[in-house]
Amino acid sequence: MARSFRFLEHVALADSAFEARGDSVSELFVASAQALIEVMVDPVTVSTNWKRDLTLTQPQVSDLLFEWLLAIVFLKDAEAVIFHEAQAKVWRDEDQQSWQLQGLLIGDTIDPSRQELGADVKAVTKHLFEVKEESGWWIARVVLDI
Amino acid sequence: MNLATKMAVQQISPVIWEIPPTEKVGMRVPARIYATEKMLSEMDAGVFDQVTNVACLPGIQRYALCMPDGHWGYGFPIGGVAAMDLRQGVISPGGVGYDINCGMRLIRTDLTVADVQPRLNPLMTELFRKVPAGVGARGFVKLNAKELKQVMRKGARWSVEQGYGWQEDLARTEESGCLAGADPSCVSDHAIERGIHQLGTLGSGNHYLEVQVVHHDRIFDHAVAEALGIHGHGQIVIMVHCGSRGFGHQVATDYLKVFEKAMKRYGITIPDQQLACAPFQSSEGQEYFSAMNCAANTAFANRQIITHQIREAFSKVFNQSPESLGMHQVYDVAHNIAKVERYREGDLLVHRKGATRAFGPGCEELAEGFQRIGQPVICGGSMEAGSYLLVGTSRAMDETFGSTMHGAGRRMSRAQAKRMVRGAQLQQEMEKRGILVKAVSMSGLAEEAGLAYKNISEVVETVESAGITKKVAELLPIGNIKG
Repeated sequence: MARSFRFLEHVALADSAFEARGDSVSELFVASAQALIEVMVDPVTVSTNWKRDLTLTQPQVSDLLFEWLLAIVFLKDAEAVIFHEAQAKVWRDEDQQSWQLQGLLIGDTIDPSRQELGADVKAVTKHLFEVKEESGWWIARVVLDI
Repeated sequence: MNLATKMAVQQISPVIWEIPPTEKVGMRVPARIYATEKMLSEMDAGVFDQVTNVACLPGIQRYALCMPDGHWGYGFPIGGVAAMDLRQGVISPGGVGYDINCGMRLIRTDLTVADVQPRLNPLMTELFRKVPAGVGARGFVKLNAKELKQVMRKGARWSVEQGYGWQEDLARTEESGCLAGADPSCVSDHAIERGIHQLGTLGSGNHYLEVQVVHHDRIFDHAVAEALGIHGHGQIVIMVHCGSRGFGHQVATDYLKVFEKAMKRYGITIPDQQLACAPFQSSEGQEYFSAMNCAANTAFANRQIITHQIREAFSKVFNQSPESLGMHQVYDVAHNIAKVERYREGDLLVHRKGATRAFGPGCEELAEGFQRIGQPVICGGSMEAGSYLLVGTSRAMDETFGSTMHGAGRRMSRAQAKRMVRGAQLQQEMEKRGILVKAVSMSGLAEEAGLAYKNISEVVETVESAGITKKVAELLPIGNIKG
């Protein structure tokens, strides 16, 4: 299990871009979610009182990653929650000809007095959006609208 | 001149530069950038690439434009303007942005800096309490879905009807704070769920509420300033920068997906997925336009509610009514929007993304009070550098589809700014310089440091020199609220 992410400095100046990677597609999804979460909050300052299971299906792995990140942004506003961590299991269902995700988001109600908040992400964009498999690594590039 | 592009860039005037359609396959019109030579040489590669991508969109008229505060966005550059033929042209959510009707509002007062300075701390604390900011913040207005649909239809008028504002505010708002053609049936339940609790909130990023001072020697047109209620003898004004919050962000997200599929059906190919578009007259185009108008009206309502909260905060701290403090709205203007406007080609759909409407004197669309002086244009700088009040010109009507700049424009990424500045230290340094900052997020504060932005005065001088807007006054910060 290996995963990482780094923020890209010279892409979309007003926004926030990152490259995430994992040694499996599941690890890529966790790394991408963690990058998104770190834009919004320092996750160590968020407790684990709130949990939400998510199940998503998309024909393409890139669409699945996009929907996964969109779901996190949506829940942040709709339920006023912020996240400590994300877990994800992603697999290709050959029968259904689709990619499946079973995810878990863990966090707490937003409270600036207890959490070190960052930027409010407005959207996950398709600008320079990319998911690829290269030399045994799954890699994604994502630009977030801030 | 060393530019971040290999495309040929021809000088048209000291502040206008043109990239001919021969420079990129698919360009239908030239791209024009408003900038000094220095500013052009500092523009990132994304501006050149994106403004020429916009020039490829079906139905675009005359030029794809970029204002001097232009910088790398997604799809359109920030600072981008594009006008489309209504029959042959497209509408693009990427030409509006995720924060539909992000915009600026300016409120004047009769207070002076001498009145406010001794009570600045309690004033900023009260403003910080009354106008929630930051990630996922919720406002005090409690609505159900049916009521939110009323907000979508009525815009700022809904807020005034609920007691959040004065009738006169509407005449001092672009389109009187309500765009026609807003149809809530075109909005998803997701968008409603996401935005229903957020009316009356600022957001984060570059959104802010700022208490500013106007000095007499920084008024550039006294007659126009006077007509707008700005006398400038250490006068206090309040500026608000925010938009449609999660509601508008979700509308944009929803329709970008719809348009990605629609483009295949209509045989439209584009150089960037974020430029996803559909014919304006198609069902998808019309539905997005209706939903966008819903979001735009919600943003007008949001800034109207925030105005009410600002008046309440001032009233509490100074123990006087907002009326006796002279807290009249100067103007409210959008800088992320698409609207049908009439130009010499006929009715056009003008996209402005990080660009402000700048209608000149005599425009029929302006309320009576602005017919003589032109439409006020409110341009926000960084929280350290100050902002400007300008007015539109006839030349903007002729040259830029009645459009101009919207702010300073970024010159540094958020990640780089955070590496160079620490939020808490910046807050202390600004306080020493006489600017009191209340912020939800210290890292967010660092991202918004003045060094991350272009010099707004240079940007303003460029649009003044181009004749597409005219300076009225400079507004300097003494207090700032950040999300």
